[in-house]
Amino acid sequence: MATATYPPPPPYYRLYKDYLQDPKSAPAPPPPVVGTYVCFGSTYTTDDILPSLEEQGVRQLYPKGSNIDFKKELRTLNRDLLLHILELADVLVSRPSQYARRVEDISLIFKNLHHLLNSLRPHQGRATLIHILELQIQRRKQAVEDIKRRREEAQKLLKESLGAFEAQ
Amino acid sequence: MDIISQLQEQVNSIAALTFNTFGTLQRDATPVKLSPNYPDPPPAPVPPPDDATKFEDQPKLMSAALVKAAKQFDALVAALPLSDGGEEAQLKRIEELQAENDAVGQELQRQLEAAENELRQVQELYSQAADNCLNLKKPD
Repeated sequence: MATATYPPPPPYYRLYKDYLQDPKSAPAPPPPVVGTYVCFGSTYTTDDILPSLEEQGVRQLYPKGSNIDFKKELRTLNRDLLLHILELADVLVSRPSQYARRVEDISLIFKNLHHLLNSLRPHQGRATLIHILELQIQRRKQAVEDIKRRREEAQKLLKESLGAFEAQ
Repeated sequence: MDIISQLQEQVNSIAALTFNTFGTLQRDATPVKLSPNYPDPPPAPVPPPDDATKFEDQPKLMSAALVKAAKQFDALVAALPLSDGGEEAQLKRIEELQAENDAVGQELQRQLEAAENELRQVQELYSQAADNCLNLKKPD
């Protein structure tokens, strides 16, 4: 069994020999990556946006627009999916060699379904943010009420004790 | 699990049911007779009795499961809490809530400072009173 030694550490450590005495003699760390970068042969992007279906080379079955009615489109896609499954079953009975196109259609519908669901996530994030803000406002109002009440109680106690003191 | 993850799980389970259905039916179906001239195969030996579900019931059961999964998906879609305001309405609401949060936060800060002031005053007065008491007491 052939074993290989680990690769040596990158040779940059030699540049930092006098770092303790003079921090400026060594190179500064590289700035963070902006835009796209290549890692192990494939490109990644630092911009965390869901890529649209056309960018992935997939045909978009639901109508494009700024305001999509998600529920209606999801239900339509679900019905289309069931129809296509039935079509595949029919094709397998009558002309079994033509399954490929139907299977492609079914996988297209699945990709559209998942893309729709993924595009709901930003909406969910904003709704979560709204909920958290509402909770925080409620907690702060409660704290304000508590402080006001305690202050008034304290004032009342002081007045009472003052009155009791002067009455002596 | 949140509803969108449930929807995604449901889509995946519909896909799994689909390929399981087709795979099982294709694997277990009896062979097709190519021509009426060919003789029937000799009757197979008695099948082992561990086959709880006969092959005739499989299509019915599996298609029922598929339809049930699709109905479940529709039910989940109906349960989506989608307020149809769109992105702008949500962003506007977030801005309003942030403004209100800031206002309430400042009010809270004011009340807190006032309460801390009063606490400090009372503590000072108490310490003065305690000092006076101590000073009034003459050591024996």
